[in-house]
Amino acid sequence: MLNTILQQAPAETTRYMVAGYSVIFSVIFLYVVSLIVRRRNLKRDLEILDELESKEK
Amino acid sequence: MQPIPHAENQVKTKEPALGVTQFIRSLAAIIWKDLAAELRSRELLSAMLVFALLVILIFNFSLELDAQARSTVTAGVLWVTFAFAGTLGLNRSMAMEKDRGCLDGLLLAPVDRSAIYFGKAIGNLIFMLIVEAIVLPVYSVLYSVNLFKPGLLLVILLGSIGYVAVGTLLSSMAVQTRTRDVLLPILLFPLIIPVLIAAVKGSTGFLQGAQVVDIRPWINLLMVYDVIFVAVAFMVFDYIVEE
Amino acid sequence: MESKPRLLAILDIVTILLFITAVGMVFFYAPLEAVMGQVQRVFYFHVANAWVGMLGFLVAAIAGVAFLRKSDRKWDIVGMAAVEISFVFFFIAIVSGSIWARGSWGTWWTWDPRLTTAAIVELVYAAYLMLRQGIEDPDRRARFGAVYAILSFISVPLTFISIRIFRTIHPVIIGSGAAGAEGSFEMTPKMLQTFMFSLLTFSFIFADLLWHRIRLGKLADKTENLRLKVLQ
Repeated sequence: MLNTILQQAPAETTRYMVAGYSVIFSVIFLYVVSLIVRRRNLKRDLEILDELESKEK
Repeated sequence: MQPIPHAENQVKTKEPALGVTQFIRSLAAIIWKDLAAELRSRELLSAMLVFALLVILIFNFSLELDAQARSTVTAGVLWVTFAFAGTLGLNRSMAMEKDRGCLDGLLLAPVDRSAIYFGKAIGNLIFMLIVEAIVLPVYSVLYSVNLFKPGLLLVILLGSIGYVAVGTLLSSMAVQTRTRDVLLPILLFPLIIPVLIAAVKGSTGFLQGAQVVDIRPWINLLMVYDVIFVAVAFMVFDYIVEE
Repeated sequence: MESKPRLLAILDIVTILLFITAVGMVFFYAPLEAVMGQVQRVFYFHVANAWVGMLGFLVAAIAGVAFLRKSDRKWDIVGMAAVEISFVFFFIAIVSGSIWARGSWGTWWTWDPRLTTAAIVELVYAAYLMLRQGIEDPDRRARFGAVYAILSFISVPLTFISIRIFRTIHPVIIGSGAAGAEGSFEMTPKMLQTFMFSLLTFSFIFADLLWHRIRLGKLADKTENLRLKVLQ
């Protein structure tokens, strides 16, 4: 009782924190995943091209 | 097709263009080439002008302004108009250069690269100033506002210089891409925000008769911007046109 | 170049550990802010992300200058990597900043100099990416990218200053709270420590991702060259 007279409690903003960190984590995660996927695709392309090159020879 | 005075013909020299007089001669030749071509066809100026007037007209209907609101918004309307018409001018100016093969011709000529940049930039500036010189009285008449204050004209000059300095540089890049015309505003507008802010605030200041000491920061900002970007353009233009 | 260098593997591990620690600090070590409540915790990573964005911009501009002077392909790869990472992290910074603003001041956007400049920089990155996409020739693409990175890097401080002056003369009250008062809370020592540690962590994240992205760029180059050779 005394608390509310002396000092207000902090605002209830937990859901915004959750929203904020969801964005932060998910976008970082997605970017890292995209790097991995792109690397894998390039590796595969490189393999195919290597095969084609050796066949040409 | 009428013959267009080519820069190569004007610059009659047996040795590479060295020295200040040669530089100025090349510069003058390039500027004159653009002006003479424009005098004959008038396609660039008429396009910019009609566009600018249309934009002013659209503003009249999209922003329902009473006399009071107008005084605060005039500078903004003018500068948005100049920014968009300016884009048109920059695009066309470079496109004509490239399409007629003039750019390649200029690059082969014994002309200092920076003379090409300055020549194009000054040409673009002249066109922009001409359009502004026509839009201002028209706006004055349409909205009964006196726009002939020397401070305002100074701001418009400084702002146009900054706009054209960066715009000429970027349009010489944009014209060499696939997306061309569309790309120039996208490249240009984020970079000229300081010019727009300073020009609008400075213009509003002079229009509303504010103290010069209040307007000073904006004029300083414009001058700093102009100096920095002209210097940078000087250093960087070579890399844009090298083959 | 096929296998991951030892140093990079170590950097990966260090970065992950730092990240976990930072998250722990943000949620358990840093105290609850008295007025804003939990949403204030977003501040730590929001600023750290913006910091990474700015770092990337600087790296891109330096890489641009280096490329123009040396014409070495690798600088173009570095520049592209830096811009891409900055683009992603600035995006995170802007969105998290918006969420923080909403949670603290009830408004999704404040036109304060920092957030506005961040939005402009994000558009600059988009323009950079579109410029590169519109050019076929790799050398020209690299040159133009370098030039634009340099030009835009120079314009951003001027942009920030002009918006700053604009805002001090016209403090606009947006929404209910006093907008533009970023960081308008008292930072206790524990908060400061969390903040500094977040900055450190994200610097490592930037370096780590940059290295990975550069490797990816080199691989892409190699593949492209081979493709041109084989498919004529």
